Amino acid sequence: MSRSMIIAPEFRLLLLASLALLLSACGPARVVVEGKFPEPLMEPVPLKMGVWYGEDFAGHEFHDEAKSRSESKWIVKTGQAQVQMWDTLLAGMFTELVQMKGEPGADQMNPVVNAVLIPHVDELQYTIPTHTNINIYEIWMRYRFELVTTGGEPIAQWTMSAYGKTPTAFLRSKEDAVNMAAVMALRDAGANFATHFTRVPEVQAWLEERGALTTEVPL
Amino acid sequence: MKIRTLFVLASCLIATGCVTSTVDEMVFNEPLEGIGDSSVVILGRRHASDYETEPDFIECVGDHIASRDKAITVIGELEFINALYPWFEPRTAPLHPRDIERLLAQQPVAEKMSELKTEYMIWIDGVTERTDSVGSMTCGIGPGGAGCFGFGTWNNNSKYEAVIWDFTDQAEVGRVNTEASGQSYMPAVIVPIPIIAPVQGTACDGIGDQLLEFLSSEY
Repeated sequence: MSRSMIIAPEFRLLLLASLALLLSACGPARVVVEGKFPEPLMEPVPLKMGVWYGEDFAGHEFHDEAKSRSESKWIVKTGQAQVQMWDTLLAGMFTELVQMKGEPGADQMNPVVNAVLIPHVDELQYTIPTHTNINIYEIWMRYRFELVTTGGEPIAQWTMSAYGKTPTAFLRSKEDAVNMAAVMALRDAGANFATHFTRVPEVQAWLEERGALTTEVPL
Repeated sequence: MKIRTLFVLASCLIATGCVTSTVDEMVFNEPLEGIGDSSVVILGRRHASDYETEPDFIECVGDHIASRDKAITVIGELEFINALYPWFEPRTAPLHPRDIERLLAQQPVAEKMSELKTEYMIWIDGVTERTDSVGSMTCGIGPGGAGCFGFGTWNNNSKYEAVIWDFTDQAEVGRVNTEASGQSYMPAVIVPIPIIAPVQGTACDGIGDQLLEFLSSEY
């Protein structure tokens, strides 16, 4: 009797650990996107730019339910990496970058800036080798940007796409490959934004009005 | 001891598949005195939708050149594209030598290029693909032990092209093409024995040797 009482808790622990291992093997693949994003090498636009990340953007994630056994279930959290990339990019693109305390609006107390940029991820699609039979992981995103005054008045609104892909490689897990594709998509988003911001017609008109249009960005 | 070493060497030789390789070269304005204290950067083209020039291959070519002529400074691909972000991303990378002029019109970019002393920019486009995989292998595990039985074989084909740009003259000064193919085998009687054809490595050596001949005064 006493012997079984001594063994039982250890056995229960082992059973729980095995069960947890089994359940984790059946659960979705989870990826928290992590990467390093370089500062842009460009002449800064002479603006004091504010930025506001909504909850949907700062906590952005995507997930997909498996349709068949061969397809993986995924939960990919991109929010943290999105904020990291956009903070780095915008800080190098404008003479000053200010984080807003709340969503710009008439009743919201915020620091005074020339304009506030509000990014949104409107759509995200991905493909993995089991979808396409091509040995490549791909991520495609569609962003929507709002440029508003501190009081929330709209200045411009436009959309932009970003794409990242990475081949699978020997000894690289599918999670690493998805992470790398997401990092490539974020870098592409930064490159697209940096080279096209001053070419958005409404933004261009607004910058000309302010006399803040700098040298032509090469394409 | 010597016999054992010979046996190991012989086994390694037998365990390597055969590779056939061809290299074509066409260059102009070869720097007869070498490139002095200037540097070279080797970059992979990543525009195609169905493949991507492998970063490992770019690194291999760079290492091949730098290890054989210590006087040549090869800038790492990631280091270069990070230092010049966002101008060498797949979306924004220059496709023609004449695009360099537009890029250098941006003062921060011109300053960075001058700091890096980049004289030659080498673009490599291509991929190594696995084709014609046949055979099957079964592995099992039991109380008495584990083992595999079967036979597999596959082909690897490498096809790469290197385009050399003279950064000062903003002109294309050479092209090197390499193609390599080889068959690998994996027989398994209890233990799988991979007999791998070093196709990508051969392509790397082929293209690396030709680039070395162009860049180095010693070859």
